[in-house]
Amino acid sequence: MKLIIGGAFQGKKAFAEKLTGISPDQAADGMTCAYEEIYTAPMIIHFHEYVKRRIQENLPCGQLANELKEKNPEIVIVTNELGYGVVPVSAFDRRYREDTGRICCRLAAEAEEVWRVYCGIGTCIKGEKS
Amino acid sequence: MLALITGGSGSGKSAYAEALCVKLQEKKQDIPMMYIATMYPFDEEAFRKIDRHKELRKNKNFEAIECFTGLKQVKLENPTTVLLECMSNLTANEMYQEGGAGEETVEEIRKGIESMCRQADNLVVVSNEIFSDGMDYDPETERYQRYLGAINQEIAERADLVVEVVYGIPLVHKGEEII
Repeated sequence: MKLIIGGAFQGKKAFAEKLTGISPDQAADGMTCAYEEIYTAPMIIHFHEYVKRRIQENLPCGQLANELKEKNPEIVIVTNELGYGVVPVSAFDRRYREDTGRICCRLAAEAEEVWRVYCGIGTCIKGEKS
Repeated sequence: MLALITGGSGSGKSAYAEALCVKLQEKKQDIPMMYIATMYPFDEEAFRKIDRHKELRKNKNFEAIECFTGLKQVKLENPTTVLLECMSNLTANEMYQEGGAGEETVEEIRKGIESMCRQADNLVVVSNEIFSDGMDYDPETERYQRYLGAINQEIAERADLVVEVVYGIPLVHKGEEII
């Protein structure tokens, strides 16, 4: 498993393709994909939107990291890094960014590699620099 | 020693800071550490957060006290490792609570940190990253960001160890040799 994080509009998808050879066209899109796609897709982009949709529909998220480890251990997860702003006024937004953070903590613990993309440049913050 | 641990919401900074305290206290395991809680429990969500943190701290030998304002008044009976969580709440309390320091918040917190550094074996301060979502805020919220930014920088300047926690992964900005 590889986790690629960073702010919005930092070139995460392009970096992910460069790193893994997987094109974003082959990836599940967290904004629109069916929930099960994550268990078979080689890559998911907009993972934070996937989490947001699940929270909105009251679907449990706590086991996602475990399920991915079991069913799709090679997946590449591309997600916005949330939670670096002032505490949002809306309770849903607060929950969304905190829950996404907790899930990403578990994914980062499972992943062999974690990359943080800044201005298109990826820095490896966990695992081998491949 | 003084350590500053920062991170965003849900980044795992508290769990990291607690583990660091346990490590720092290794040689004095029989002596309880002190946890200074700064979040004023104003609603149900705050109580839930507090409960979550209590659960995290369980069996780690912390004695908890509350300090919403006036950190410099806090006295330690014996030197130990102190975890202060979190600076973003303490700053907001000083700015907005009755009896808080108001416009003198940065200075008040500086004195509090100095006082605690004189008393504690180790002081670990948890703070928040609230500066990087690219939003424009109202002037009052900006003032809060400015104060907390200044406080974080001052603590980092004094600190032996500065760590940013990203999804549970520590990025060490200062003091790599210590850990």
